[in-house]
Amino acid sequence: MTALLAVARYEFRMQARKRSLWIAATLLGGALIVLQGDRGPRSLPVGTPAREVMGTWALLFAILMPLAYGMLLADRLVRDRKLRVEPLLESLPHAPATRLAGKYLGGIGACALPGLAALLLAAITELPKRHDPALIGWALVAFVVVTLPGIAMVAGFALVCPVIVSVPLFRVLFVGYWFWGNMLAPDFLPSLTGTLLTPIGDYGATWLLANGHTALFAGTPGFLSFLRPDPSAATAALSVAVVVLCGLIPLAAAAVVAHRSTRQTWPSKA
Amino acid sequence: MHIEIADLRRRFGRVTALDGVDLTVAGGMFGLLGTNGAGKTTLMRILAGVLPATSGRVIAGGHDLSTRAGRVAVQRRLGYLPQDLGLYPDLTPTEFLDYVGLLKGLDDRAARRRQAAELLDLVGLSDVAGRKLKGFSGGMRRRVGIAQALLGDPALLIVDEPTVGLDPEERIRFRTLLSSLADARTVLLSTHIVEDVAQTCRQTAVLAGGRVAFTGAVTDLTARAEGVTWEIVTPGPPPTDGVVVSAIARTDGTHYRVVSPQPPAPDAVLVTPSLEEGYVALMRSAAPAPVG
Repeated sequence: MTALLAVARYEFRMQARKRSLWIAATLLGGALIVLQGDRGPRSLPVGTPAREVMGTWALLFAILMPLAYGMLLADRLVRDRKLRVEPLLESLPHAPATRLAGKYLGGIGACALPGLAALLLAAITELPKRHDPALIGWALVAFVVVTLPGIAMVAGFALVCPVIVSVPLFRVLFVGYWFWGNMLAPDFLPSLTGTLLTPIGDYGATWLLANGHTALFAGTPGFLSFLRPDPSAATAALSVAVVVLCGLIPLAAAAVVAHRSTRQTWPSKA
Repeated sequence: MHIEIADLRRRFGRVTALDGVDLTVAGGMFGLLGTNGAGKTTLMRILAGVLPATSGRVIAGGHDLSTRAGRVAVQRRLGYLPQDLGLYPDLTPTEFLDYVGLLKGLDDRAARRRQAAELLDLVGLSDVAGRKLKGFSGGMRRRVGIAQALLGDPALLIVDEPTVGLDPEERIRFRTLLSSLADARTVLLSTHIVEDVAQTCRQTAVLAGGRVAFTGAVTDLTARAEGVTWEIVTPGPPPTDGVVVSAIARTDGTHYRVVSPQPPAPDAVLVTPSLEEGYVALMRSAAPAPVG
């Protein structure tokens, strides 16, 4: 447990200190604020419920900000080798799976910081206009329901996949996946958009809107219809669980491989 | 920590890095010499539990390294400075040592921090303990490396090519530090710099082509060059017979030290050999007959 917390703590610390994390998050978040258009949260009329306002903000930020997280997390596992720290870490008496899990938790924590900051800032800037302190509370709910699960899924894949496909290729594939799997209209091409598997937080945001409309494409008919139930509180919770579990799949696979390699024994003959 | 290695082999595909190594390390400071590619780093990595062997037996402190449990048991008492260790550039030395200490299982926060501070003081980095590692020179990084290896007061210290890239002053300081540490623990020093072993170790082994070419006292390795180490002074070109170990230009001509079974020139005189010449004699099989 000490080793897990140590890796998580120091991974969080190193990642949170990365200027690129804050610059990328600020640029992407800022671009979304400026370019949100008349369907964005700033255009919602006064009197719109706080949960709907913050749900819309959370979805807006989720459109692009996870791209930054995926890009930045992509080198976290391979960088130990690149920095030549790996031989030392491997000589220490803890399981590689512990290091992997610690990096995952620390990476999520670090990426969650700008995500949470963006939502709280949005809530604070909305306060003078809407005079509703509940905005802060709903910002936290939106963070948990929309932002965090997506970061968890992105973190799982971004940590493990670059070990197999290289960091640059992962980044290219990730950008392609993000637009294909989260924003491409499901009636245009077969895609994962609007399914329970979308890390953009479509189901969670739709539950927050609670106005009978879908936030983006949640539940819209299309490819893999069994993954497109009608949006509700239950399906939002299910989507959160499925998205988080999806992120754990590559981690579990990597942990099994690492565990097998360290369990390896050799024929001992004198 | 007593280490017993028997018939240790390691292959990388078709390349044999270790080819039946037999070695006993009783304790204290032990030097492992060999050319680049001799298999030293592979042996060090196996002993550190980082790399599995292909076959063979390694018992360290009573633990069998061929098993996961044995490796972990040794790793709990191990300090390891890998060849060309990298550090996290965005951490300070204090943070890096705290991190490694936590991973070594040093749970008591106050004790861990106290030890980190003491070790940074020992390696002369107290003044820069709060500075990010990214600005550190090669020598300073090495010193952080040795400090992390000493965390937890390990019974076995493995240092792989620790003085490569250090300036002469830092090399001497580093060697002195390692020597002083060997009083209370086993220190395995792997290097291709003979002088480092000459100045610090009483026992040594020489690896060549993945095999042990020599194991024994440093003085015995030096003795390999007795009767085959010559000095000649000439203004002309270097002698062609034997291996020229050193060449120093002086006013009366260039002084060559040569390892050769035959006098390399009519006026060559036998001289007392150094460890480096003993090593050369061994590696070139220039010694008249194996001893010990």
